[in-house]
Amino acid sequence: MSIFKNHKEDHKGLNIIVVGAGKVGSTLVEQLSKEGHDITIIDKNKTRVEALSGMYDVLGIIGNGASLTVQKSANVADADLLIAVTGSDELNLLCCTVAKHVSGCSAIARVRTPDYSEETEYLRSKLDLAMVINPEFEAAREIARLLYLPTALEVDTFARGRADMIRFKVPKESPMVNNQIANICGDSKTVGLICGIERNDEVIIPSGADVVLAGDVVSFISSREESKHFLKKFGFETRSVKNTMIVGGGRASFYLTKQLISAGIETKIIENNVNRAKELTDLLPEATIINADGTDMEVLKEEGLEYVESFVPLTGIDEENVMLTLHARQVSNAKVITKVNRTAFKNVINSLDLGSVIYPRYITSEAIIAYVRALKESMGSEIETLYHLFDSRAEGIEFNVRENSKLTNKPLKDIKLKKGLLIALISRKGKIIIPTGNDEIMVGDSVVIITTHTGFDRIEDILA
Amino acid sequence: MNSSMIRIVLGNVLKIEGVLMLIPVVVALIYGESTVPAFLISAALAIVIGQLMVIKKPKDTVFYLKEGCVSTALSWIFMSIFGALPFTISGEIPNYVNALFETVSGFTTTGASILLEVESLSKSILFWRSFTHWIGGMGVLVFLLAILPMTGGSNINLMKAESPGPQVGKLVPRIGRTARILYGIYIGLTVIEIIILLFAGMSFFDSICTSMGTAGTGGFGIKNTSIGGYSPLIQWIVTIFMILFGVNFNAYYYLLFKHFRQALNVEEVKVYIGIIVASTLAICINIAHMFSNLEQALRASSFAVATVITTTGYSTVDFDTWPAFSKFILVILMFVGACAGSTGGGIKVSRFIISFKTIIKEFHSYIHPKSVKAIRIEGKTVEHETLRSVNVYFMTFICVFTVSCLLISLENQDLVTTFTSVAATINNIGPGLANVGPTCNFASFSVLSKFVFIFDMLAGRLELFPMLMLFNPTIWKSTFTSRINPRRRNWEDCDKVRK
Repeated sequence: MSIFKNHKEDHKGLNIIVVGAGKVGSTLVEQLSKEGHDITIIDKNKTRVEALSGMYDVLGIIGNGASLTVQKSANVADADLLIAVTGSDELNLLCCTVAKHVSGCSAIARVRTPDYSEETEYLRSKLDLAMVINPEFEAAREIARLLYLPTALEVDTFARGRADMIRFKVPKESPMVNNQIANICGDSKTVGLICGIERNDEVIIPSGADVVLAGDVVSFISSREESKHFLKKFGFETRSVKNTMIVGGGRASFYLTKQLISAGIETKIIENNVNRAKELTDLLPEATIINADGTDMEVLKEEGLEYVESFVPLTGIDEENVMLTLHARQVSNAKVITKVNRTAFKNVINSLDLGSVIYPRYITSEAIIAYVRALKESMGSEIETLYHLFDSRAEGIEFNVRENSKLTNKPLKDIKLKKGLLIALISRKGKIIIPTGNDEIMVGDSVVIITTHTGFDRIEDILA
Repeated sequence: MNSSMIRIVLGNVLKIEGVLMLIPVVVALIYGESTVPAFLISAALAIVIGQLMVIKKPKDTVFYLKEGCVSTALSWIFMSIFGALPFTISGEIPNYVNALFETVSGFTTTGASILLEVESLSKSILFWRSFTHWIGGMGVLVFLLAILPMTGGSNINLMKAESPGPQVGKLVPRIGRTARILYGIYIGLTVIEIIILLFAGMSFFDSICTSMGTAGTGGFGIKNTSIGGYSPLIQWIVTIFMILFGVNFNAYYYLLFKHFRQALNVEEVKVYIGIIVASTLAICINIAHMFSNLEQALRASSFAVATVITTTGYSTVDFDTWPAFSKFILVILMFVGACAGSTGGGIKVSRFIISFKTIIKEFHSYIHPKSVKAIRIEGKTVEHETLRSVNVYFMTFICVFTVSCLLISLENQDLVTTFTSVAATINNIGPGLANVGPTCNFASFSVLSKFVFIFDMLAGRLELFPMLMLFNPTIWKSTFTSRINPRRRNWEDCDKVRK
């Protein structure tokens, strides 16, 4: 009877328990349930659980996620993965430890307090966790990448940092304008590929014949060194910023400053709370800490907003961040990066001219979804990294090819691929190859695919 | 209000109904009956209209509780309108209002009939009558959720609107699988009953129809004497299965997946069994003098208790002739109903447990005015929201019941008939007392009264609010106002023109 037949098919998704229905938890529930997994959400807060289980097809359980009884009622024994993203690091680690003892599931914990940030790898291996995530740290890393290359709106790294995908806006006077892509990338000196053009709400995965227009937002993928050459050739600035001003001294700000200082970038933090400001001077002796209200225009002026090369508002309030960005764009030429926590008003934010916008929630969920997809299909290939590109209208996925298949050892021109898809890059033994029709995929390669399809689990999914 | 999603749900429901209508065609072919075209025409109509409704894809798949309620109520109305067609087209119930009454009574698992006698009906029509019970028992929207992978997660609102009980939850994270598990249990139990009845010596056709009637706790008999003409063994089997189908299906899920302790701990089921045992004993003692031996008295009393508390409506003996004490117990049981999450109707045992505990809590607060006390069921505190919704449910029930009685009283029948006819329909039982007793029927009522009964049956099956929502003008207003196009409407521009 069909009723029982479907029962099995349904099991394609993984059984995932998410503990903590906060910001990251609810983004995860939203994204993972879209990917077709069976999700149980645990939180102490009844309203939050009910809101989520009313909104998405998930089972809600009210209780302390670290308690064994609660985990058992969430059927932890049959779970494939437990993700602990409550507000408390210690609770998250306890959740994972408890779950690991009663079932064979993998566990992911959010650990974000700077006290543990040096020890995450130790914690991960000792507690046998699949992953330790730190959204603030990841956000800081992404912001730092943009400050190293301020021309870019977004920098995504592939092949363990050897390749970058750079998203930038084409100005009117650029030599790129009205040029065919074949002419821009075709010359043998550049080893890179334009893999996406965003034009008026539309995303184009281009071919060589497409033309770049002024105002387009172009994404370019290549090895790290090549990308700078490429940008230089078309008249873009490629040096990193010299100094930066940060408003708000939260966790993300701490992680960011730490990275920037080690890269030799002068950093100034404006923090309103005296105690926190004192704490920061202890933690970050090289940084300039200002104890003042960073949302005060006079304060910003006094601290030299007009002369600073980059400006990063990192307060906890999205609206303040957006207002500060808009203000900074008016009074200075600084590179501005806006951190937005809530994703609800994304369209409004996109319609504003804010430049680079960072969504820490997406960064975390991308990492977890990449892991989950790999967990689901760990046969012939494995997802190394996953990015939602162009406002989640496309995905950039990096696969590790581990076994021979229909795709391997065959010139790419002989393989029939799905539409709306591009093999952007092959990384072989540390070397970056921008593939042409004559290149082949081999076992041991990692391959970057840019696609408007969603939900690819393994590299064979690209076949038509 | 997202009217296009409601349209999609309705279309799919009609398509499912159309396909299900093809099953009686098979029955008609087997018995060589002339009802084949009647079913084919109805099925084709339902499928074509359903298909037309789903052709246009909705832009927005958001689905809130109000959409869930409205689409559930409309689905049941549409299903009944189309389900009544075979009766009229085949000419076996020529009056369409009567056919509609019969169909609604079938889908809502009431079992109240307008037919004076049923044995003259063709087998395929009898099958369809019983089959409507089976479809309506677990609910067609639950079926829809089980077979259709619906996008968007808010489908729980469909299930909430259709499934009985104060708290509707999922057994497993995915609603589709929850629905499939429920239907799996439902089909499994039905098949077991069919097999057992076959072994007890019932004919194949009779056992299928009887089982479907029991499973949905419906109660359409295929004999004029309902179950009364069958052997005592069969009567006992039917009694037991009626009781089984009145149990909260979550308990079966726990049994099936080996959570035995949880299964034994379902408080509602314990109370339900307790009520059945106590009422059976009380009635048995009360009526013992009317029967020649104790087995007969026990069989008659337990059958009557089971048929009324599970809101099935089969009958063996005419309990209208019993002493007032026994009749009154049965009237009380009519309102108690079966467990939440079962196929039975009524107010549900769990609601009574909750309100009974509320009363005790109130007493307690008179003795210790400053005491803080929570109402607990199975060791868990009942949320204030649930308490409130239970109280409101009781009040609403009384309102709907009173208004219905008032409308039926226009018939100028006696008080018992008026009262129990409404009780029997709103609680989805079927037979009442006096003029609507087990041996009588609803044929003599006027068209207006029949529509009141139709409304009561639907309202009772869908737990009042989805049906009542249809009377709320804001629902209709928001259905017919289209969304404002943000680009077209620009207040600033208007101002400029004015200046």
